[in-house]
Amino acid sequence: MVRSIAHKEFLGTLRDRRFAALSLLLLALLLAATLVGRRGYATLQAERTLAQRQVNEQFHHQPGRHPHRVAHYGTFAFRPRAALSFLDGGLDAFTGAVVYLEAHQQNSVNFSPAQQAGSLIRFGELSVAFVLQTLVPLLLIFLCFGAFTEEREAGTLRLLLSQGTTLRQVAWGKIVGYGWAAALVVVPALGLAGGLLLSGEAAAGGTDRWSRLALFGLGYAVYFFVVIVGAVVVSARASQSRAALVTLLGCWMLGCLILPKATTNLGAGLFPAVTKAQLDAAVHEEAQHGINGHDPQDQRAAALKAALFKQYGVTDEKDLPVSVAGVTMAEGEAYSSRVYQQHFAALTRTYERQNALSTWASLLNPYQAIRLLSMGLAGTDFAHYVHFQQAAEAYRYRLVQHLNGLQARMGYGDKERRLDAATWRAIPVFGYQAPPLGWALGYLALPALALLAWALGLSWLGLRLVDKSATG
Amino acid sequence: MPPILEARNLRKEYPGKLALKNLNLQLAPGEVFCLLGQNGAGKSTTINLFLGFIAPTAGAAFINGLEVARYPLEIKRHLAYIPENVLLYPHLTGLENLALLSSLAGFKYSESELRAYLTRAGLPPEAAGRRVGTYSKGMRQKVGIASAVAKRAQVLLLDEPTSGLDPKASNEFSELLQQLSSQGTAVFMATHDIFRAKEVGTRVGIMREGELVDVRPTTTLNANELEQLYLKHMQ
Repeated sequence: MVRSIAHKEFLGTLRDRRFAALSLLLLALLLAATLVGRRGYATLQAERTLAQRQVNEQFHHQPGRHPHRVAHYGTFAFRPRAALSFLDGGLDAFTGAVVYLEAHQQNSVNFSPAQQAGSLIRFGELSVAFVLQTLVPLLLIFLCFGAFTEEREAGTLRLLLSQGTTLRQVAWGKIVGYGWAAALVVVPALGLAGGLLLSGEAAAGGTDRWSRLALFGLGYAVYFFVVIVGAVVVSARASQSRAALVTLLGCWMLGCLILPKATTNLGAGLFPAVTKAQLDAAVHEEAQHGINGHDPQDQRAAALKAALFKQYGVTDEKDLPVSVAGVTMAEGEAYSSRVYQQHFAALTRTYERQNALSTWASLLNPYQAIRLLSMGLAGTDFAHYVHFQQAAEAYRYRLVQHLNGLQARMGYGDKERRLDAATWRAIPVFGYQAPPLGWALGYLALPALALLAWALGLSWLGLRLVDKSATG
Repeated sequence: MPPILEARNLRKEYPGKLALKNLNLQLAPGEVFCLLGQNGAGKSTTINLFLGFIAPTAGAAFINGLEVARYPLEIKRHLAYIPENVLLYPHLTGLENLALLSSLAGFKYSESELRAYLTRAGLPPEAAGRRVGTYSKGMRQKVGIASAVAKRAQVLLLDEPTSGLDPKASNEFSELLQQLSSQGTAVFMATHDIFRAKEVGTRVGIMREGELVDVRPTTTLNANELEQLYLKHMQ
């Protein structure tokens, strides 16, 4: 019975010119967004790969220099784009892509696409995720709002029920039929995405990109199921088609437009974050309490020097096997890095608290659940961004401390000497490994469970409400 | 012979309104019972009670010995329902509509079998593959009849089936009912059409304000006498 009704809905939907036109439009948008997104991804990825290679070569081809000069010369870390970022750009447009890595300084990640784009980017980009999260539900609402009301208005619901079907069977048939229709719009785009992934070079994001794509598709399948079931239940409970449409459009506006912005604003209001300038000032202020390797008059540097004399049993700096300046630099770096890490962790916690509000809101709003899930699976959410920041900072710290170590081992009078150019070629360059899927699934469990809870809850409670609906 | 359709003290009340007052009625297989009455007399309420779309306040309705309220799905295997205006699915063809209704009733037919049912119900063969959106009301009624036959229904519940049909279509419809009746199908038809009731019915009932006030075999009176009887009860 369910299959017969599903077939009827599917056939009726395909023959409905309004739906066919809307579907073709959305399919074209999806395919265009996939292709344009992939092209943008490929361009940016090529640019970043090339730039990373160039700065690595520049770093390796430095002439013979003092290691601390090399530390100040620094290098750049470019954030590779995640393999699925062409499907959901997430925060990538607004988070930076490049960070300058140098001694004593933890720079922020700069040069986001939004910084380099016109003001129109404020309106958002046409991405696959935008179409899937916002426009496809709208199409589904237009498709499903009359599921029951139109049958009731036409008297066909009584005809179906008089054949021995139940309201619930009719509802399931419609859900399955509309699901097939939705698949006609979405599956080609995801198929194209899969093809593009297959044809492209192995990008950052690693070998788990197929698992990510599969879960991405599964997540959206559950999301569309929730929208379809919700729309069918509303239609079953509504007295007229117009009332069902108005209710569903209201839900769409609330879920896709109002609630996400409200929770973001509420999060920022409840957990205010410090600005970049405030963070830098606070780090600088606290770092002053540590050793300043560049200040020979620094009292803490003098104490460290005295400790080195004692450790090596010497009374003259010339007799030390290590460079006092090198050891002082290493100590200063360790201290300032610790200070930065503390402040950065506090700031990250603030952002995480803000984001947590959106995560919990996903229990109330399936749109927010799929948005978080989609960004997380595409590797373009805040957590992936922080992962890159931390990887870049960890590399910076290792690099600078390696150079400080080289300086320390040069012994007394190091400032007058240089190390051979080959020294720099032996230093490993920055190579970013994006986190695996398992890492992301850890914090994506809540939105995933929220989406599942919506699907199960609506199937259980919603269809019980359908049972109690008017027959006509 | 046990009744195929039966009402025992069947009663339906809405807040502030008595829609059906203790109806007692039995229909034997092959019998055509025409229920006459004004709008709001309780004819559609009676049909809805037999279909199980609404629950009785008291009493019980039975189809083939099964109580409708207790076996709402099982009883639908034995009956077919044709409303006043059979609005099928306009995007589907006559064949597709019939295939859908038959499959919901548990019957799978080949295309040729479906075509045969439609032809037997009087639908022109060339119309079977056309979308129902292009059909006249009479043609849709024929698809409805075809679905009842394909379902092998023992009871046909008809709610004002000839309303709005032209005389030719109405006549064809009556012939179809008589055919079904001769094959043992019981027909319960709510109608305003006194002359059609006299023509196809084996018994007529007159309902007024939810009460079945008169029941007569159609053989005992002619059309004019039936009209006079009806008007007398309506005064």
